[in-house]
Amino acid sequence: MRLLLVEDEIDIQSFLRISLEESGYQVEAAADGKTAERLAMEGPFDILIVDLGLPDQDGINLILKLRRLGVSAPVLILSARRSVDDRVRGLEQGGDDYLTKPFALAELLARLRNLLKRNSPPASEATRLHVLDLELDLLRREATRSGQVLQLTQQEFVLLEYLCRNAGRVVTRSMILDKVWGMRIQPDTNVVDVHIYRLRGKVDGPGQKPLIRTLRGVGYVLKDR
Amino acid sequence: MSSKTDRPILHSAAWRISLWATLAFACGTMLVFIFLHRFVASDIQRRSDAWLSGEVEVLGDVAERTPKDALYDRVVGEVAELAAKEVPNRDPSASTANDSVFFLQTGADGSRALWVGAGNGEPNLRAIQATRIVPDHPSDLNVQGVAIPFRVASTRIDDGSYIYLGLSERDELRVLRNLRARFILLWLLLVLLGFGIVFYATHRMLSHVREITEAASRIGHTDLSARVPTMTRRDEVGNLALTLNHMLDRIEISMHQLHTITDSLAHDLRSPLTAIRGKLEMSLSSGTEDVHSEQVVSVIEELDRLTDFLNKSLDVAEAKADALRLTRSEIDLEELLRIMIDLYEPSMSEKGLQSSLQSNGPLKVEADAALLHRMIANLFDNELKHLHTNCKVNLLLKEEGAGVSLTLEDDGPGFDPEVLPHLFERRIKGRESTGHGLGLAFVDAVARAHGGAVAASNRKQGGARLVVTLPLKAIKAEK
Repeated sequence: MRLLLVEDEIDIQSFLRISLEESGYQVEAAADGKTAERLAMEGPFDILIVDLGLPDQDGINLILKLRRLGVSAPVLILSARRSVDDRVRGLEQGGDDYLTKPFALAELLARLRNLLKRNSPPASEATRLHVLDLELDLLRREATRSGQVLQLTQQEFVLLEYLCRNAGRVVTRSMILDKVWGMRIQPDTNVVDVHIYRLRGKVDGPGQKPLIRTLRGVGYVLKDR
Repeated sequence: MSSKTDRPILHSAAWRISLWATLAFACGTMLVFIFLHRFVASDIQRRSDAWLSGEVEVLGDVAERTPKDALYDRVVGEVAELAAKEVPNRDPSASTANDSVFFLQTGADGSRALWVGAGNGEPNLRAIQATRIVPDHPSDLNVQGVAIPFRVASTRIDDGSYIYLGLSERDELRVLRNLRARFILLWLLLVLLGFGIVFYATHRMLSHVREITEAASRIGHTDLSARVPTMTRRDEVGNLALTLNHMLDRIEISMHQLHTITDSLAHDLRSPLTAIRGKLEMSLSSGTEDVHSEQVVSVIEELDRLTDFLNKSLDVAEAKADALRLTRSEIDLEELLRIMIDLYEPSMSEKGLQSSLQSNGPLKVEADAALLHRMIANLFDNELKHLHTNCKVNLLLKEEGAGVSLTLEDDGPGFDPEVLPHLFERRIKGRESTGHGLGLAFVDAVARAHGGAVAASNRKQGGARLVVTLPLKAIKAEK
């Protein structure tokens, strides 16, 4: 996967490059709009990360210019601004995504994956999800572990489904709030943790191998190994 | 004139001004007319009195000189009838039957000697006997059976008899009645026309003022780029619009500066936070589980709290200056509350709290979704942080006029009475609170940014009550 990273803050650029390369991306980095344009023209990229506050031009203008030049790869917009520009919303509706700084790496990676998935031809939608001995029947909204039906509420099922779809990968609290409850909020209290705690009580029965793991300061992961 | 105002016209200033102006005009013209009427009436009477005095003198003369023979009655009678034909103000279309004039001669003993006129003259004689009529001074005479009084002049002739000449005031009254009728008609037309003109003029002028008011009230709740409508005329209203627009220019510039400051502050703080957080996360993932990772994790958590605090501080700061930027969409408040309750329910039951929602079905408002989500999350966080075990939280959502009210009631310890008056100010928190003291200030800020309000009180039966009101629809700027 070839990725073009457009970020002028050298500190951020360097840690992003390392983390992205660790995650298997081939990263080309640019610190300003001009370099980014040149790089984008040189070779095709699968995905772009563009910071809005570039020294020579506005990030949105850069994206629009690249789009005009025929670059169709999805873009993840990084923004340190407070308000979300209407043009960013426009791009978001056009299939791109945005992330406000500071962000969790896990969330950045998850959003990149989503963008790539959206851009690739849709795989036939499975009606069943399997993670180790956990099985979710998406049509009957029923979850079983080692053949035993789990008594889940509607919301718990949606939460577990989200974890299963991202099995083996870290999901953050704000990602869970965004995808399961549909809101971008930062509660002062540990509401998500309590939901996970309850779900864990139902999924990881006594004597069973615990599947839902907490990564403190980062989020949760559903183990797939 | 704007079609938007559905305010009853009876309550408009234009209506009141026109009413008063018309009243003054009507009273003034009426007074002038009354004065004129009196003048005309007295003039008409003076003329008929002059005629009466002249005629009665002639008749007296004739009566005196005519010998009292068989022809006397005829001579005097004919002279009297001749005189009657020259009645002043006579209605030319009236019938020839002459009942507007009478001639009466009485003997020295007061008995009727000669009568010329309609009827037999008995009632007239009785009326004359009842009224003391001074010779040479015409005066009014009410005759029984005749509605309209007569004006009677008399003279005494040498043989001791009296001659009375009576002229009905009918014609005089008719002239005055015609005058009055025409005046009233014209007066009504004039008053109506005057009212119309005054109302049109004031309504036109005040509609400019109203447009300015409407435009000004929209500005600030939506965006500051809108301006009040200006007009080409440079009168008081035109100047008002220009002055308002100049003021808005200045406010917009300051607001823009505030946004620039908060934006650059956010940017300058967030960029290093991003770098720090990223590096910490990398050290966490690369390193194996060592003793430091616990510390790194807690530093990351602190960083996240710091970021959250930064965001909220800037939001509250902007909102306090009425400068919060909104992106509105239609939101079903009831659905949002159900999702929130669903999200918070496990945390609440963990703490032994119960929550319930009372509402009458879906309730849509035009609001900024992200801000509203955070506002309601703040309310729930607040309850979660301050309530003891076994408390109940009751939410009541209802439509109230053009707005929505969301009432949160609990049976917990309530607000600290010392803090209550300053509850929505920044950095205000109860003694046992662990937050930043921004939660309720943020709730207040979001409600205000939407044109709503928040009120806090302690319930009589114990516990706290928070009422958030939001308008159903955003005040929209017209294109």
